[in-house]
Amino acid sequence: MIKVKNPGLQTTVQDYGRIGYYDVGMPPSGAMDKYSYTVGNLLVGNDENAASLEITYMGPTLEFQQDAFIAVTGGEIPPKINGEAVPMWETHSIKAGDELSFDFVKKGARVYLAVAGGVDVPVIMDSRSTYTLCGVGGMEGRALQAGDELKIGNDKKQEVKEGTSLPEEYRLDFSGDNEIRVILGLCSYRLTEESKKRFFEREWSVTTEANRVGYRFKGERLHFVEREQPFGAGSNASNVVDLGYPIGSIQVPDGVEPIALLNDAVTGGGYVTICTIISTDLDKMAQVKTNEKVRFVSVDIEEALQARKEYRDTVEKVRQFVAQ
Amino acid sequence: MVPRYEYGGDEFIFVELAEEMSLEVNFQAMAITKQLKEDNVPGIVDICPSNASYMIRFKPEEIHPDDLISKLKELEKTVSLEGFEIKSRIVDMPILFEDPWTHETVMNNRDRHQDPNSTDLEYAARINGFDSKEDLIQAITDYPYIASMIGFVPGLPWCYQMVPREQQIEVPKYVRPRTFTSERAFGFGGAFAVIYPVQGAGGYQLFGTAAAPIFENEQRLHDFKDSMTFPRQGDLLRFRSITMDEYKKIRKEVEDGTFRYLIKEFTFTPQQVLENPKAFSDDVLGRLYA
Amino acid sequence: MADKVLSPLPGIFYRKPSPDKDVYVNEGDSVKEGDILGLVEVMKNFYEVKAEKDGVIEKFHVENESEIEAGQEIATIS
Repeated sequence: MIKVKNPGLQTTVQDYGRIGYYDVGMPPSGAMDKYSYTVGNLLVGNDENAASLEITYMGPTLEFQQDAFIAVTGGEIPPKINGEAVPMWETHSIKAGDELSFDFVKKGARVYLAVAGGVDVPVIMDSRSTYTLCGVGGMEGRALQAGDELKIGNDKKQEVKEGTSLPEEYRLDFSGDNEIRVILGLCSYRLTEESKKRFFEREWSVTTEANRVGYRFKGERLHFVEREQPFGAGSNASNVVDLGYPIGSIQVPDGVEPIALLNDAVTGGGYVTICTIISTDLDKMAQVKTNEKVRFVSVDIEEALQARKEYRDTVEKVRQFVAQ
Repeated sequence: MVPRYEYGGDEFIFVELAEEMSLEVNFQAMAITKQLKEDNVPGIVDICPSNASYMIRFKPEEIHPDDLISKLKELEKTVSLEGFEIKSRIVDMPILFEDPWTHETVMNNRDRHQDPNSTDLEYAARINGFDSKEDLIQAITDYPYIASMIGFVPGLPWCYQMVPREQQIEVPKYVRPRTFTSERAFGFGGAFAVIYPVQGAGGYQLFGTAAAPIFENEQRLHDFKDSMTFPRQGDLLRFRSITMDEYKKIRKEVEDGTFRYLIKEFTFTPQQVLENPKAFSDDVLGRLYA
Repeated sequence: MADKVLSPLPGIFYRKPSPDKDVYVNEGDSVKEGDILGLVEVMKNFYEVKAEKDGVIEKFHVENESEIEAGQEIATIS
């Protein structure tokens, strides 16, 4: 058991996600930064779909009531065992009675706490991920609360030695430029050429409304090509006949404040979508904080597939490193 | 217009068959996605038909997006509505119009609305040329709807009335979306009626509240044994205006776990609907209450 | 000795519980450990920033309703 003494700002149980139910309106949920989540599981020898805790901005205080192996990966929210700082991206042994807590967030927005065996909550529609809006999955369908007791499961594949530390080259670097790659498309035909250009030229600043559902950005108003609204769409120029929203798609309700739809987002609706964040850069998006600035970069499908391949190669290298 | 085939990043293909809504295009999206399901194409994760478009989620390691697009373009050419059968259910959906809960939300959000001086129902009646809100309610409840898309949140049905275009009700969405919409609210936006499965944000005009749930994460009720979500694409839904007394009776049945929707299994073809929507609708209502 | 009060979160800093209310504390006021000094809004949450010791608010370093970074100094208590 792991006892939650303080839940942190928003700590949820997440695994790879609830995949394959998009057609009934069920978003995938799951870890927002898949790379850090996956590496966390590898560092404790878990099945790669084992459930971890996703910790945002402010970490929880957890009391372990049994011995366990853990790893903390992701942005930089430095972990402490019994008040002593311990490194991230490393396998640690924690003893019954030990307390795990976290320092202020230094870089990024989220970290993942992987526990050997995984966090054991009921599997709902093939996943343990928490989807708070509908109370599905995770710890009673909600973020952790003080007093919760988390069971440790059996999703373990192999032993990983204490002190196994991920080489620097495989760790994420958050000192970068916050460039988020997107593929232009969907209903981008609705934007004026000038607005399309401006979307990629300027910096967008992340508002306080930036969570697992989506990120809202401040910048400037975007404009739509004038048309008579098609039947059924609604009267605003940003309205379309309600359609499906890809995960990572960016919409611009009324032309103000673009919104990137993320893991817990709505699966469809009636606003113009203009582009989609490529899958590898969703991880990066998840580590951008409120008040930070991002720039969107337009790439083609081949570049997106290449990025995806490199990402998978890196995960494979980490797998091999851990197996050594 | 020529359908648009668009990448939704590296994991989705979005196909916009038409910019405007019609029964024909909705049936076309249904027919193409049904054929795609039957073809069992490797690498496909989700097939999401929607109103005048559809979306596919796939694993690019198993199928290259451009190969998938070729496959979809092929289906666009070969799939015909001729002989396409929709296995459907006709369902009675009891709605309490002008209920106290959505009325409170409506009144709290006048600053976000086109017309701060009337209710959503009064406004919608006026701009659609009805003499009174009662006439609008009658028009909404006289003919059944097809669940043309499921999504937004789990189980939310977009419902499109099976009447000729000139009879369709159309309303704008709120000027600024609300941050609160009560659970089971019955709303209208564009040409679509919806029921909000859970409490949350929303931008549709609010007319009432459904008595029975359409999403149940505990899966207590009979109609939710197989799935947390009730509506399916292609369902034929009849919204029926009920009194507060019937509303309370249904709520009690829901709480007791005994509530069951009135459902009739029914298979139909697009031609039946398109040739004579009025006769089709009358037939549907006849079967439902037979 | 003056102690720094740091924001644990990025977001918007508020010195008032709501726009039409007075500020929680003024510079020069005495505070007790646990007193609320302000709020940080992020992800539709309002996090209460509290004094970690008894003392006097020497200075606020962040204006009401301004952007704040995690780890940024909000005030000093002496």
